[in-house]
Amino acid sequence: MNKDVLVIGGGIAGIQASLDLAEMGIQVHMVERLPSIGGKMAQLDKTFPTNDCAI
Amino acid sequence: MGNFKINVKRKARYVNEDLCTGCGSCAEKCPTMAVDVFNAGIGQRKAIYKYFAQGIPSVFTIDAPNCRQLGQGKKCGVCAKTCQAKAIDFEQKDATVEVEAGAIVIASGYDVFDPSVIPEYGYGRIDNVVTALEFERLLSASGPTSGHLDRPSELALEKEIEESEKEVRKLSGRVKQLEEKQGKNSAQVIEEVKAGASDPALLEWAKQAESLAGIETRLEAMHHKKAAATTARKLAFIQCVGSRDFRFNKFCSSYCCMHSVKEAMIANEHDREVHSSIFCMDLRAVGRGFEEYKLRGGLQANIEYVRGRVAEITEGEAKNPIVWYECTTDRQVKSQVFDMVVLASACVPSAGTAKLAQLAGVELDANGFIKTDSLMPLAASRPGIFVCGCAQGPMDIPESVAQASSAAACAAEVVIGAPAELRATA
Repeated sequence: MNKDVLVIGGGIAGIQASLDLAEMGIQVHMVERLPSIGGKMAQLDKTFPTNDCAI
Repeated sequence: MGNFKINVKRKARYVNEDLCTGCGSCAEKCPTMAVDVFNAGIGQRKAIYKYFAQGIPSVFTIDAPNCRQLGQGKKCGVCAKTCQAKAIDFEQKDATVEVEAGAIVIASGYDVFDPSVIPEYGYGRIDNVVTALEFERLLSASGPTSGHLDRPSELALEKEIEESEKEVRKLSGRVKQLEEKQGKNSAQVIEEVKAGASDPALLEWAKQAESLAGIETRLEAMHHKKAAATTARKLAFIQCVGSRDFRFNKFCSSYCCMHSVKEAMIANEHDREVHSSIFCMDLRAVGRGFEEYKLRGGLQANIEYVRGRVAEITEGEAKNPIVWYECTTDRQVKSQVFDMVVLASACVPSAGTAKLAQLAGVELDANGFIKTDSLMPLAASRPGIFVCGCAQGPMDIPESVAQASSAAACAAEVVIGAPAELRATA
């Protein structure tokens, strides 16, 4: 049994999953096709319903 | 499960990630512009670029097909000469990295449905009809318009002005050269040609001088137009574009009613003169605090909710879009002129999802999202593979994050497993 986890996608879901796994001591390999992580959320201005900044 | 072997193609950045400090001097000097994908195609960025300013990793990347040197075989290399960290490496190649994993979490996200397949909405034909994602970039302080609602028709006008001014500089340079060399001025030459002069050199000169005069007149008109332009004040939001639509996607995209209310609110915060009409069948505000948010929009942010589906969007004068709709409460067909129309376009599986599913050996559902078990909502059809976020179906940020934590727990269960004394015996 290999102890690593592969996360495909570096958007908000991929980032959250990766962080949760890493904090459990698991080695994560996150693959993202774009030059930066952040996904669609990084393109948003504010988020509902709090109108907090997306990034 | 337990023993996945994955080959990952690591694309060349042509920049050494360990050396690049993210300073941006390379981009300042780069001579080539390309379409800015991060800004939803509005505006441009250099061929060497950072996807967005706060992007992690904080390093630059060369867009090879658009690079003078890498993509067009021309001599350049200005970025490499400028880089103080010596981080640019044109010799970098794509590489294959082999990863071994006990479990996989798929979080490959979604794409925005392209509304140009709905010709009656005019997307792609009418400048001032945009998608919600494009509108987010217009609203963003870090976006191509610094957060001002400049209309795309005006952005197009600015581009035309820039190109015309370039043309004017080129032509007036040539004409001036001819005037100095021949000791005549262009007005004389034009008269001579009108009177019947047939010297090909004179004919060419007259043609250039007249062309120059023509462009200068058009430029003046364009400058007037630009000076008279205001930011968008009257907005229309159209819900269910490509969603709940038998022709395209039958499902509801879940977050778009909320993001239209949000965008209308933020636009109004930015400019109190902004008025928004949201055209919907029903405005879905399902999560905690959402109904209150929707009501607040109507009471405080100058939003009018109109119950009716939009039949057509046409273009009126001054590039203003006109929305034609049936107001179901009045039972009348009406039309209204707006400054800008925002399409709340559907959430569809991201472009590579089908291929990814094939590689991973997992099934897709009827809509092309990755299929999960209704009794184990994070599990894909193959053991050891979990899905979270919009790769599974349309959902908002809190739901995506909750699913992500859940998928992490499922994956951890696989790779950590239970201690021997707790494992159930067969």
